[in-house]
Amino acid sequence: MTVAAAKAARPGLDAPFTKYALSSAYDEMFSPDGTVRAHYRTLHTALAALPPEELYRRQQACELSFLHQGITFTVYSDKQATERIIPTDLIPRLITADEWAHIEKGLKQRIHALNLFLKDIYNDGRVLKDGLIPRSMIYGSKHYRREMRGLSVPHDAYVNVCGTDLIRCENGRFAVLEDNLRVPSGVSYMLTGRDVVRRAFPDLFQAMRVRPIDQYPRELLATLRSLVPFHEDASIAVLTPGIFNSAFFEHAFLARQMGVELVEGRDLLVNDNVVYARTTSGLKRIDVIYRRIDDDFIDPLIFRGDSALGVPGLFNAYRAGNVVIANALGTGVADDKAIYTYVPRLIRYYLSEEPILDQIDTFRCREKNSLSHVLANLDTLVVKAVGESGGYGMLVGPHATKAQRENFAEKIKADPENYIAQPTIQLSTAPTFVEGGIEARHIDLRPFILHGEETRLVPGAFTRVALKRGSLVVNSSQGGGSKDTWVIGDGA
Amino acid sequence: MMLSRVADSLYWMSRYLERAEHTARLLAVKLESTVEQTREESENSWLRVAASLSSEDFLAEKPDGFAVTRRLAFDHYNPSSLVSSLAFARDNARQVREQLSNEVWEYLNRLYLRLSPVTAEGIWSQQPARLFREALEEIYTLGGVTDSTLNHREGWYFLEIGRNIERAQLVVRLLDLHFGTARALVKAEPSYFDWIVLLKYCNAFEPYCKEYTAIIEPEKIAQFLLFDFGFPHSVRYAVDRVCEALTQVAPGAPPSRREKVERLAGRLKAMVDFTQIDELIGGSLSAFLADITNQCEDIHEAVYASYIAYGAETVL
Repeated sequence: MTVAAAKAARPGLDAPFTKYALSSAYDEMFSPDGTVRAHYRTLHTALAALPPEELYRRQQACELSFLHQGITFTVYSDKQATERIIPTDLIPRLITADEWAHIEKGLKQRIHALNLFLKDIYNDGRVLKDGLIPRSMIYGSKHYRREMRGLSVPHDAYVNVCGTDLIRCENGRFAVLEDNLRVPSGVSYMLTGRDVVRRAFPDLFQAMRVRPIDQYPRELLATLRSLVPFHEDASIAVLTPGIFNSAFFEHAFLARQMGVELVEGRDLLVNDNVVYARTTSGLKRIDVIYRRIDDDFIDPLIFRGDSALGVPGLFNAYRAGNVVIANALGTGVADDKAIYTYVPRLIRYYLSEEPILDQIDTFRCREKNSLSHVLANLDTLVVKAVGESGGYGMLVGPHATKAQRENFAEKIKADPENYIAQPTIQLSTAPTFVEGGIEARHIDLRPFILHGEETRLVPGAFTRVALKRGSLVVNSSQGGGSKDTWVIGDGA
Repeated sequence: MMLSRVADSLYWMSRYLERAEHTARLLAVKLESTVEQTREESENSWLRVAASLSSEDFLAEKPDGFAVTRRLAFDHYNPSSLVSSLAFARDNARQVREQLSNEVWEYLNRLYLRLSPVTAEGIWSQQPARLFREALEEIYTLGGVTDSTLNHREGWYFLEIGRNIERAQLVVRLLDLHFGTARALVKAEPSYFDWIVLLKYCNAFEPYCKEYTAIIEPEKIAQFLLFDFGFPHSVRYAVDRVCEALTQVAPGAPPSRREKVERLAGRLKAMVDFTQIDELIGGSLSAFLADITNQCEDIHEAVYASYIAYGAETVL
């Protein structure tokens, strides 16, 4: 069904929602018959009473505030570097307490299983001996770090910070789309977005009993501290690639909010397998590094020799147990898109539990039957390269031209192991303020899970929104924006 | 604990801001005073402005207010222009964003975002002096915000060192153009009017009058700008601030690493504390000014060698 047909078939909505087109996707605010879902009523009433000019004014104030705070990313063109803000939509996305309880339980289960999996493949390899996953898929993965074999990490917690992407499908159920186990970002948008939206809608905020998320930096700090349990005043640092990294704002933000040092590779040196920071008063030992640099760049002696971002000798200090690095190295092997398809099995295998959260049916092109099915149905599928992220290396079948599909088919045939395919899922839509009015736009959900001695989540998430009408791509690098996510109390 | 890289960024952020402030003030004062000067006087004083703020190759060109303003204020390719200074200050601030208060960062960021797109062509017909006055007011505000929102600990003292080393050198350069060897760059002798403008370049006109009345004497101007102990734009005041700040940085550094820096700063302080202007007039003032500049450079290098760019092997 096309969007236009869907619109015609459905009842018209009141101002300011007259332009709001319901489609086959699940809409967060409206039921298919056009009535407002119970938990959205307060917000709906408030928006309906707000003149568009006022909403526009608040939106402008919010953007200016981001620009002044320097919450920007840099776009390089031939002559000049321009700083742009990540567009933030003022209309919050709501999640009920029950929905959140389900998500939280499901994510905790998932990170638990994934950590057991990582421990297993870097030690005994039980899961491989039992034939649950083909060995080649692990040992052939570019994110598998042989150097991590036999190395023990505190509390067996390999993934300390995880950002999992969820979507809500047509049936209204949440499903996991992707686990980000390496250096997930976006949490600063969750926190700063909350700040500006709270200022724009202070009354709503109270009326709906929105659960707070400001404690995230404290909980992150507690998680990092828990990795050095016997060390009373461990010194902790956030390791950033530097100001040219698009997430630099976030690195600085987290360091400041936690009250720990923000360091670059050049601030650190390793002597006798101990990591030090160069300070004005002399060298200072560092015990925990929350690194925001990819594995490849962290130590030029072990990984990429051309990396100027890392610290020579860091890995040996890590191996010697003199410093904790969070997340551990080599976690990427568990979040690639091919391993994703095995996660439900891993949950059953390690925890003897049924998976709580759904995930998307996925075809592994490495398997013959799947490959022919995928090639025959490219026009309805989304195909992704297994080791890529950020919306790169993918084909959205229904939106691609014939030539693009044929081109991509060749790539798949040349290297089938590198691809998976999923049905095109209509991400749910939510009211979004665009072009002077409120329209439906597709969104996803990225909550952040912290895992050290305990597993913690703050009740909130980075909701990404595809600002282009009809677009399903929410990545910030591809024109996505962000939305504040409100987990609301019962009876709001 | 303060990372050496952080100290480095704070130091330069503050040096660049001081340079931006000085540039904005010179241009504001110059543009406001042009109207009362003859064409020839005006050209000479533009030449002094250009000579005090940029390298000498630029001086070959004919001094023209518009060209000088464009180059000194808005030229992104001129590394010492007002917009470049602000851009460098902001880059350094961004590097150490987590060390600054939100207020400091946002004031600086807003100032940069406001001035960065301005062009000389765009403002020349609409009282250009006004823009520099406004910029100046914002930089003063930023100074106040810095003082009242940052913890006056090590980082703040690195800001002090940067600001005051830069300030001492900028004032000395202006004095050199009026009293020293650089005086030869401008053929005409400074007129009565130029002396007043010199005071205004340093925010010193009224403070000077309070001290010496409105009678303008070059010797007294030199005395005031070099040796007044309480005036924030005098060389002596700046050197005092540097000495004081040096006692507050790198609290954990062993005496062996502090010694050289503190000895150099102490020597400069003694020199400006105990020299009298009549010993210099008519003779050694040029050499004295050059000596201050060199000693400032030495202090800068010693700070780097002791606290910022020391070799790891020296402390392991």
